[in-house]
Amino acid sequence: MSEVRFTLDGREITAARGETILMAARRAGARIPHLCYADGMRPDGNCRACVVEIDGERVLAPSCCREPAEGMTVHADSARARRSQRMVLELLLADVSAQTYRHDSELAHWARELALGAPRFEARRQPPPDYSHPAIAVRLDACIQCTRCVRACREVQVNDVIGYAGRGAAARIVFDTELPMGESTCVACGECVQACPTGALMPAGVGAEDTPPVAAAEQGKWYGPHRTELRPGAANGTAP
Amino acid sequence: MGRRNRAAGLPVMLRPVPKGRPTDEAALTEVRAALGDAPRRRDLLIEHLHAVQESIGYLSLDHLNAVAEDMDLTPAEVYEVATFYHHFDIVGDGEAPPPPLTVRVCDSIACEMAGADELLAALRDALGAGVRVVPAPCIGRCDGAPAALVGARALDRASVDAVQALVDEGVADAALPEYADYEAYRAGGGYDTLRACVEGERSYEDVHAAVRGAGLRGLGGAGFPCARKWGFVRSEPGPRYVALNADEGEPGTFKDRHCMETEPHRVLEGLLIAAWAVEAEGVWIYLRDEYPACREILTLELAALRADPPCALPPIHLRRGAGAYICGEETSLIESLEGKRGEPRLRPPYPAQVGLFGQPTLVHNVETVYWIPEILRRGPEWYSSQGRRGRSGMRFFSVSGRVKEPGVHLAPAGVSARELIDEYAGGMAEGHDFYAFLPGGASGGILPSALGDEPLDFDVLAEHGSFIGSAAIVILSQADTAAAAALNLLRFFRHESCGKCTPCRVGTDKAAGLMARRAEEWNTGLLAELAETMADASICGLGQAAANPIQSVLRFFPQEVGR
Repeated sequence: MSEVRFTLDGREITAARGETILMAARRAGARIPHLCYADGMRPDGNCRACVVEIDGERVLAPSCCREPAEGMTVHADSARARRSQRMVLELLLADVSAQTYRHDSELAHWARELALGAPRFEARRQPPPDYSHPAIAVRLDACIQCTRCVRACREVQVNDVIGYAGRGAAARIVFDTELPMGESTCVACGECVQACPTGALMPAGVGAEDTPPVAAAEQGKWYGPHRTELRPGAANGTAP
Repeated sequence: MGRRNRAAGLPVMLRPVPKGRPTDEAALTEVRAALGDAPRRRDLLIEHLHAVQESIGYLSLDHLNAVAEDMDLTPAEVYEVATFYHHFDIVGDGEAPPPPLTVRVCDSIACEMAGADELLAALRDALGAGVRVVPAPCIGRCDGAPAALVGARALDRASVDAVQALVDEGVADAALPEYADYEAYRAGGGYDTLRACVEGERSYEDVHAAVRGAGLRGLGGAGFPCARKWGFVRSEPGPRYVALNADEGEPGTFKDRHCMETEPHRVLEGLLIAAWAVEAEGVWIYLRDEYPACREILTLELAALRADPPCALPPIHLRRGAGAYICGEETSLIESLEGKRGEPRLRPPYPAQVGLFGQPTLVHNVETVYWIPEILRRGPEWYSSQGRRGRSGMRFFSVSGRVKEPGVHLAPAGVSARELIDEYAGGMAEGHDFYAFLPGGASGGILPSALGDEPLDFDVLAEHGSFIGSAAIVILSQADTAAAAALNLLRFFRHESCGKCTPCRVGTDKAAGLMARRAEEWNTGLLAELAETMADASICGLGQAAANPIQSVLRFFPQEVGR
């Protein structure tokens, strides 16, 4: 009983005990988009790009965090699952600035794979770049809030410099108490740069600083004066 | 860039400059004075941030750094928690601290319908710079709309004059309502049932059978059968814990406040019976910060209970939220009790298996435990024999909006919206005709008055894409539109989304943006697609339910919106 048999998109496949649906699917050659998942890191299940339909369940399940049960029927390429996978990617694409969108990023890879067009949503206001660190260029206008850098810093390297602050659409990556990265306790290990799937964290000195900043009109902090809430008017067209 | 020393080949980490923001000794002294000899456990971080803020008036970056140093946490850990909760005022370098008094004006659905936006604007003009006036999500006083909190003093039917009067008099403390205190509750036979349980006069099997026979379900919104939950938790290896969800925050809901402000000991007895039933070794009460009067009542009454206990009691911890609706979601509540950001956990595993501090945990809503002592005293039939239209049981309905007598009304399960209006709430308000209603606060969708004769209960509204949830019934009239109500609700969800998962974090933001246009210009096709993903792919009930107002408008009120 060290293996679990289940059905994925009409095919019977096997998973090792403790293996997730995403891992088993990948071994079987199925392609399920995923962004907040990375090998060697605790799966967090936050991006929801990898959601799949499981027969008998009310809502979709994140395949990166779910282990199959014996006899389970899973659909990764059903119309319903694909609609949400695509919508998640579209929502994330809408908020990555054109200036920092990298065609070799994981986000771009999955957008191509699922043949996404231009996002139909207005972009968020974008934060300014942070080039204060000698080794790492920070462009949070490319950030998709997947928290891979947080886990890299906190759980892989146990440095705990990077945090996820604020709430809702104002939630954002910070260094210590939201200091410029170069003034933080960062030890420049580079784990976060390795972890970032979009290029929001890049090695400094290899061209990131030459990337044009987003236009001033599109810039603005996400958060209000006391840092906990979304700034009025920061979201698209919704100033109270 | 100049500090990089490539030529020398020195690793960057060998720079002689100390890393990070240095500890400010004065701030550290202030933090230590505020925390006294309280234990510096991680799970107390939110309590400690409250203590520092109450002592200093706000939280500066130096104070947050000092809290980190004093509690042996990293600055990032403290900062990400502090910025999660809306009631913490974080002041950056060079930023002005907030004025000492804050007036929170509720702008959720019932209060907005009663003119909260105008009140907010008028108060900002009238009160000037010495008082901070901010909009706040539902403060649980929808029957007194528009409602406000002046400091800790709640004000129903708030007006500029009434707020101004409190400000001028310097009144900002909580006013305690009349309630049954410990002595009064004991005099009426209170805690006899708990004592009978704890001292072996009643068996678990007997109590479990009574709760099951009554058909008591979770009244926070999910409606999970209470007795089954006990069975799940009890079958897991100990230590087991119990958490009371007193984080009522669903717009339109104020029945848990009613329970705590009238019969706090009935709530506590029910909670302690549940703790006995699952043999819990510790009990936590998670109370929302918007209810300062309840906090004072519970603090006083827990002290009275401990001073003269009816029987052996487990340790009971009263914890204070900090302005986060999401912490009413049970796994977020558990995270918050552990001193973390209130982000939901992925299920499985369920809290009954892996809950607070990784232990099996029973999480109950306030009203659920409120019914337990009476069910055990009067027998299960007393509860289960209530009901209309073939439904069974009873509960508190929070009724607000365009009715003559908004308030908490005790009614049988299966009562209809029209009956609630006519029999319980004194009819529609003068000049208002019944147009639509919210059966379950912000989360349960919006139904047209044509469905006003449907039974209100768990399960039965599912065919209309709706649910009763916490039984917060908000009545709309011809003066309102479903589209405007839905926009108010989506703004609420955007404000309260925790930010963890994409469909909710980005989805509520984009949806509120699309819906802020004139209703005739809504992109209904795109909204429908977005709503499906929010409902299908969000981690928790907040994001899933945030789609309901959109889907309700598209389904039942297509005449209001365009394209």
